[in-house]
Amino acid sequence: MPTPQTIALAGNPNVGKSTLFNALTGERQHVGNWPGKTVEKMAGIAQIGGRTFTVIDLPGTYSLNAYSSEEIIARDFIINEHPSAIVAVADAANLERTLYLAVQVLELGVPVVLALNMADTAQQRGITIDTAALSARLNGLPVVATVGSRAVGLDSLKKAICTQTDGTPRLLPTPVDYGQPLESEIAALQVQIEADPILSHQFRPRWLAIKLLENDEDLHARLSGAGYHALIEAARAAMARIAAQTGEDAETLITDRRYQVIAGLLRGIVTRPDGDGETRSDRADRIITHPIWGVPIFLLLMWIVFQFTAYVSAPFLDWIDALVGGPLTRWALAALDAVRLGDTWLAALVVDGIIAGVGGVLVFVPVLIFLYLALAVLEDSGYMARSAFVMDRVMRSIGLHGKSFLPLIVGFGCTVPAIYATRTLEDEDDRKLTAFITTFMSCGARLPVYVVFGAAFFGAKSGNLIFGLYLLGIVIALLTGFAMKRTVYRHKPPQPFVLELPPYHIPIMRNVWRQAWQRTQQFLRNAATIILAATIIIWFMLALPVRGEGTFNDVPTGDSLFGSVSRALAPAFAPAGFGSWEAAGSLITGFVAKEAVVSTMSQIYVEEVGEGTSAEDEADSPGFVDDLREIARSFGEAAILTVQETANIAPRTANLLPVVNVGLGDWLDRGEDAEELTSLQSALTTSFARTACSAERGKLAAVAFNVFVLLYVPCMATVAAMRHEFGGRWVFYQVTYTLLVAWLAATVVYQGGLLLGIG
Amino acid sequence: MVAAGQTVELVQIEEGRRLRKRLADLGLNVGLTVRVVQNSFAGPLILAVREDSRLAIGRGMAHRIRVAPRNSAPQDEG
Repeated sequence: MPTPQTIALAGNPNVGKSTLFNALTGERQHVGNWPGKTVEKMAGIAQIGGRTFTVIDLPGTYSLNAYSSEEIIARDFIINEHPSAIVAVADAANLERTLYLAVQVLELGVPVVLALNMADTAQQRGITIDTAALSARLNGLPVVATVGSRAVGLDSLKKAICTQTDGTPRLLPTPVDYGQPLESEIAALQVQIEADPILSHQFRPRWLAIKLLENDEDLHARLSGAGYHALIEAARAAMARIAAQTGEDAETLITDRRYQVIAGLLRGIVTRPDGDGETRSDRADRIITHPIWGVPIFLLLMWIVFQFTAYVSAPFLDWIDALVGGPLTRWALAALDAVRLGDTWLAALVVDGIIAGVGGVLVFVPVLIFLYLALAVLEDSGYMARSAFVMDRVMRSIGLHGKSFLPLIVGFGCTVPAIYATRTLEDEDDRKLTAFITTFMSCGARLPVYVVFGAAFFGAKSGNLIFGLYLLGIVIALLTGFAMKRTVYRHKPPQPFVLELPPYHIPIMRNVWRQAWQRTQQFLRNAATIILAATIIIWFMLALPVRGEGTFNDVPTGDSLFGSVSRALAPAFAPAGFGSWEAAGSLITGFVAKEAVVSTMSQIYVEEVGEGTSAEDEADSPGFVDDLREIARSFGEAAILTVQETANIAPRTANLLPVVNVGLGDWLDRGEDAEELTSLQSALTTSFARTACSAERGKLAAVAFNVFVLLYVPCMATVAAMRHEFGGRWVFYQVTYTLLVAWLAATVVYQGGLLLGIG
Repeated sequence: MVAAGQTVELVQIEEGRRLRKRLADLGLNVGLTVRVVQNSFAGPLILAVREDSRLAIGRGMAHRIRVAPRNSAPQDEG
């Protein structure tokens, strides 16, 4: 079988390029990252005219300059990979602007098919385009009107791709004529480039000459790195001559000329209705981007996104949690029993290490799917750009872009999706900084810790502790952002705000779902290894006896390696008032998942809790069929609850108003789960008071402990997400900084409290 | 201050080379006629560029773009 030919889709953001990509490739897609970049790489397989093609969806870009990493990726791909053809996707309803990239693609000298996508939107606005005439003006270049979302024009597009890739030499469309004095300078540079066999093989000489005159930073740097100093000098001299002759710099002339050529191409070919050109989107924007009304609308939508990640995802999160902890664990034990490994340490490793670790990853699936669904809807509908518009003024006060607000809100639900939500930011440094401060937003997993401590130490007033902690997280996040903008990013000018506002349209659910699922899979692939490894390491630490009578896998926590590591760490927390090994140990498992802090405490502080449950499991183990039935039943229940929670968004939202109090739907009549934590609570008060030497001081130490839980190292799923997005070095900074801030804040709380005479 | 609904010609963009190039990539270059879609008392502006494209630009940047309402003296866009 011959190697498949490659075609690539190139186009602006918001021209519906990915809908066209989906229509061409169907389900056969692969999502990855471009080598060394966090930019998503979409590849797929398409059967066109009996031939197999690899289809690459290039990142959406406005031009082929080297302004962003997306632009460099797109252009390097075309230059280095020599695709058989490029489908240049333009927006039929925004033709003049979106042809700018297409013209640049044509200059690269590869076979091109021009797709005028979103032809339906153009039609609705009364814009007509004579594609045949446009094709004629472009020397017979195939021009196809398409509607990617409904696969309209797909056959013509495929036919055009076939003819452009069948190997017969084709007349290239007339390139842009830049006029004098540019053309003679281009010609002179071209001669110099053609004289070099390596350069002329790698680049199309005319294209390279134009790019050098355009003062393309990336190419200038690359060519001087490769020793082409004479060529660079010649280009600089040419630019100086052009500037002297015309009084205008070469790059401006080149840009202007391209737009002139486009205007000429479209003259008489595009007709539009008379009128002031105001669209329905413009009218909607009068309210949605209004400097006053825009803010409550934005906050309301963010609240709904937050509801999806926090509540709507919860039933399936619980379902997966129960599935992994119940049937899956039992089946694994039964399988191990069958091969006579049932009572060995290997069984314990598989169940408590590996399966628990896998479970720890899987519980994020519902959270991420719902977040990505919500984000994809916002993006696809065109609202995402507006949200940045509305919040820009507020975020600018701490030096961040308007788009940074969304990840911070998502962070209240779960930090992992919040890290991925930073993908909507274009500037890499802004992304890093936003992800960095997002970890201080108190996520849902930290709440159980506050609840247990609040009830134990403050009783009815526990709400104050919880609210105070949420507030502290926000304050630390904003202060960190503010400080970093003035130190690490001091020399970086604020990102200029310029943003395209695509027209609103109704999201296509198929694409939204596909995107959400693909991104969730990516997280799973990337996070699975690190989370599994961490869980296994902690399991071994808990199983290894280092003192006392215990043997491997049968040792009280205090005598295990875990216990002695905790003991070694404990003195570090003494200034913050909770220098006991029990507290330190809970914090270690809190790295696995913050909700694990409470379960570890139950294990360490109240030994009998752990033993009770395992005995229960063995006495009453359901059969395989019962398990399957229960899984199906609870799945159905989770599905109902998901719908219920979606419906509950409305009353929850109404309840935000002080005078309204609407009851929430409780279709399965479950009520709130009241967990029995009294034994843990009393053990906590005793232990903290003992460590801190008095009940009042114990209370203070408990507050300090919660402050530490709020601020210290995000859980390992977050660390995995961070590493995936920004690399290991960034994770190191993050871990160090958060540990430092957490320790300082906890110590300040405890010592400050003592100074103020508390305790 | 150019009110919403007015049409103006871009005369000069007093920004660095990189940013001017970026604006040109987005369709905004000197000599172009744009319609101001929204210009409220605060926050970014919305421009209609090349008929069908809508660009939001920050107020700070808008102050550095000189525009001329046809046949009269240049003025600040913001």
